[in-house]
Order: sequence, then C-alpha cells, then structure tokens
Amino acid sequence: MDDIEAKIFDIVAKERRLDRSTLSRDTKLEDIEIESVDLVEIIFAIEDEFDVDVPQEEDAFKLETMGDIVDGVRKLIEAKQAETAASGE
Amino acid sequence: MHRVAITGLGCISPLGLTAVDHWRSARDGRSAIGTITKVPLEKLKVHVAAEIRGFDPNDHFDYRIVDNLDPFTQYACVAAREAIADSGLDFAGDLAEETAVITGTGIGGAVTIDVNSERIYGEGKSRVHPNTIPRLMPSAATSQITMEHGITGPSFAVTSACSSSNHAVGEAFWMVRSGRARAAITGGSEAILTYGSLPGWFALRVMDTETCRPFDRNRMGMVLGEGSGIVVLERLEDAQRRGAHIYAELAGFGMSADAQSTLEPSEEGAAKAIRRALEDASLAPEGVVYVNAHGTGTQANDVNETRALRRVFGAAADRLLVSSTKSMHGHALGGAGALELVITAKALDEQVAPPTANLTDQDPDCDLDCVPQTAREATLPGALTNSFAFGGLNAVLALRRAP
Repeated sequence: MDDIEAKIFDIVAKERRLDRSTLSRDTKLEDIEIESVDLVEIIFAIEDEFDVDVPQEEDAFKLETMGDIVDGVRKLIEAKQAETAASGE
Repeated sequence: MHRVAITGLGCISPLGLTAVDHWRSARDGRSAIGTITKVPLEKLKVHVAAEIRGFDPNDHFDYRIVDNLDPFTQYACVAAREAIADSGLDFAGDLAEETAVITGTGIGGAVTIDVNSERIYGEGKSRVHPNTIPRLMPSAATSQITMEHGITGPSFAVTSACSSSNHAVGEAFWMVRSGRARAAITGGSEAILTYGSLPGWFALRVMDTETCRPFDRNRMGMVLGEGSGIVVLERLEDAQRRGAHIYAELAGFGMSADAQSTLEPSEEGAAKAIRRALEDASLAPEGVVYVNAHGTGTQANDVNETRALRRVFGAAADRLLVSSTKSMHGHALGGAGALELVITAKALDEQVAPPTANLTDQDPDCDLDCVPQTAREATLPGALTNSFAFGGLNAVLALRRAP
C-alpha cells in the first residue's frame, strides 16, 4: 500500500466512521453504504489532501470500489505532475 | 376563524437547554451573561455575551448529519423536537399535510459564513466544504424540521432582523387561525457569536461592555445572545378535545414599519404595532397586564418603548408589568422573539411576571413598573411580547391566559 492509497483509506474510514483495517481495494462502496452526500464529502477531503481538482465532468458516481477511487486519484495526481513538468518548473 | 392554542414549548438558550430550564432561570432572575468563550478575545472590544453552555450537537444528531447543520439549525431542531414532544401531537396521519413550519432568523448560517470566509481569505484556500451552502441558507432550519418530522404543509423562513421570530410566529398564527393550516411549528433561531461579525456590533456603538441593564439609568446598550425557541400552535378546539395542556392562547399579531431610520426607533411605529396586535386580538388595554418588552438596554430603545406603551395604554400603562428578559438571555436577534414568547407563555401559564435583571437604578424616562430583580405573582389575563428591529420593522404578539 503506497502513500496515496493509505491516505484515501484514512479519508474514507474517517468519513464513514469505519475501522480502516476492514477496507481493501476490493471493498465495494455500496457495501459500506457510501451515499451521494458521503461521496461529495470524500471528494472534498481528497481534493484538500492532494491539492487536485476532481473535474465536474468526471462521473464520480460510477466508482464502484475503493480501488476505483485510488486509481482515479492517482491519475489526477500524475496528470497534475505532468502539467507541472511541462510548464517548465 | 379558529382560536389558537400554544400547546408545546421548546428552547435552547443561554438560560438552559430546555424550555423548562429557560423559563425557571428567567423567572428566578438568573442572568447568563458572562465572558465570551467561543471566540478569541484579543481583537474584541466587547468581551461579554450570553452564550449557550453545555450543548454538544453530537448528543443530538447522527454523525452523517451533524456536519451539515450550522449551529442555528441545530438549535432549532432540538428546540422543535422538545416542543413537539411537549405538545404530544402525532404527525403520523393527515396532520403532517396540514401543518406549517415557519421559522425566523436574522442572519442564518452565520457560523458557516465565518468559517468559510476564514478558509478563503485567512488560509488562502480555494476550496470549501460541500455542505457550505446548505448550511448557511436562512431556511435551513425550517427544512431540517420538516425532514425530521415528515411535515409537508406550507413551510418557509422569515427574516426581519430582531423581529424575525415574531414575524414568523405571527404568520403561522394567522395561518392556523384562518384555517390554512391545522397546526404550526414556529419560532426562530440564531447563532451569531462569530469572530468575524462581533466587531460589527461594537462599531454600531450600541453594546454594553459589562452587562445588559434595560430601563436602568446606567444602561450602556445591548448584550448579544443566541439560541432558539420553538412553539407548537394548533386550533384551541383541537387542543381541548385531545386534553392537551394549553400554555396560553395566541390571540393577536400586529406589525408595522417605521419607514424612518435604520437605527433610530420610532415611537409611533412601535405604538402602531402594539395597537394593531391588541385590535387583532380584540383585547382591551385592560386585558393586558404583562409585557415582555423588546427592552434591549440601549438608550434609544428603552425610552422609545416606554413612550410607545404609554401612547397606546394611556393611564392604564401604570398597571402594566413590563420586563426585559434580555437582561438574562441577551439579545438573540432573530431568535429573540421566540425565546421571549416561551417566557411569556409560561408567565401566563404560571401567572408570574418574570423580572428585569440588573435593574437597580431606574431611569425616570422609563417610568413603568419594570419588575426589577424579582419575579412577581399577579393576575395576568393577557400579555404582549414586543420585537422592534433595526431597520424599523416591528412585530408584536398578543396572548391570553388559557381558557
């Protein structure tokens, strides 16, 4: 488990008041009763933690598992890093 | 037309976390004014307020809901639960369709606005919590009460600064009286003790830096408070049929606008609202003995209110028992009228006029019986409770002793 994954697990566990050790990449969001209101709070916490913007057009409600969230966030972080590199910093 | 009974009381205030405690403290003349603890004091010129103590929202709300509620909504919800339980009304059947929820607030989600602004301006962040807008809506408390109790009748929020509660209750009263609603959950709520807004109050130069001394020669101004009062209104005949305890009859509502000044009160504007409330209630001046005054403790209000009462009541004004309970629970702005309505209903219920605390040297220009320091037992056939807001918006409720 890398740092990104660990932080995301922390966020979800905190938002849903779950024991973090019960979560895995295969945990279905449906099974831990993540509703739309929880999801917007989780997205907010992720944006705040990683300083990335989850685009509105990203259909966050299609996410099914914890692994989907981790992969999605990883993609956003990589895209941001590529952008920063391209801008010549 | 139906007569309207008050059958449920709920309250969260600096005087107590239930309507019973709120009333007992007011009756016993115990002031809740003290040093502010909710915000840092360094930059503040006024260090006193009446704060709610010992309220933990996690005791009252599920963790998935609690973060979505500004304190003003939390207070209103808890007060509404108490009022509804106290009334014994059951909204399971058709009653939910025919019940109105109308609540007042002066600002709405002031704490949320403050936290949000601090994040953006102070911390330089670009994102705020997704619950920010639903928390700060002035109608958030109304909505939450409807959702908690499944009430689907006419529901909205009312705002008119310090008169918000009385305007809300008055409108709800008229709805029940006219038959447009069978029952109503109504009152007001406010949570305005925020770091960002307190300097604005001092800037108005209407604040007392020690305590609130209405009608006293040495009064310096108002002291802020916070909290929520909620009452249940229903048709008198319904209440009698089901054997509910009736605290008082809500009998009349009068309102007016000064159309004059933002801060200077008008004697005629206040008198007009009082007169209209009496007329609406078909109450002769002799029918009123207790008046819960607006009584902010500012130089201007207390003299103006005294003169307005004299103008309406004439010689009968000397029989009135006029107290300002803001001397104890502070000024909760849009919640004030509701905190005072709970006290006024209990005053009629127990036939006791609560006192004006901190009144030791009465201003000769406030020459009414202001019930200094100690509550007074008396025959109270009827009562008024006054709210006169900044901006000249006045709202007065008239009550009768339960039949």
